[in-house]
Amino acid sequence: MEEYNSGEEVSFNADEASVSVKECIEGIIGGLDYNQNKVNQWTASIVEHSLTQLVKQGRPFKFIVNCAIMQKSGAGLHTANSCYWDTATDGSCTVRWENRTMYCVV
Amino acid sequence: MDEFQLSEETAFVVDDITTIIQDTVETTIGSSAYQQNRINQWTSSVVETSLNQLSKLGKPFKYIVTCIILQKNGAGLHTASSCFWDNTMDRSCTVRWENKTTYCIVCVFGLAV
Repeated sequence: MEEYNSGEEVSFNADEASVSVKECIEGIIGGLDYNQNKVNQWTASIVEHSLTQLVKQGRPFKFIVNCAIMQKSGAGLHTANSCYWDTATDGSCTVRWENRTMYCVV
Repeated sequence: MDEFQLSEETAFVVDDITTIIQDTVETTIGSSAYQQNRINQWTSSVVETSLNQLSKLGKPFKYIVTCIILQKNGAGLHTASSCFWDNTMDRSCTVRWENKTTYCIVCVFGLAV
């Protein structure tokens, strides 16, 4: 549900997007251990499914979905992102997920 | 309506952007060793500086810059990205950089306005 009713302008709903993405991740790698052979498939699946779900919401947006899966082995990982866009309409959300053997950041 | 190549002023030139990003990462991290307490500064610095340089190009694009810095420790890292956009105008480019102790991956997405 939109908080603002600003006529034709729609702003990005980060909460809804987060929920869709979390469900996708859970569905694809929930309960599995890090497997080098399968990681490529997993990242590709996660981005494709997430994108499909987001597009199904029918909002007038372009989407970019990025997914990083990292093995839990003590290494340090930092990510940052910066965006030059229209702050009234555009938005982003990040979902962090982990299980026993890996981290996933979308 | 532009059906042929876009003019210089409105195209997303991958080579220029790659050069800008490489210079930014080199300047920010260079040959420094991975340091946990400086990492936050590095990632922020890389994305902000890159974005500043990109907006100075003055092209009609919205930009998204993401940066991943990873310690060289034998861990596996996979990333993927998928985009729902205008295939004729929008572009992305990825720059991979490394030194002795660190990997740095920077992705730039350009969406035509």
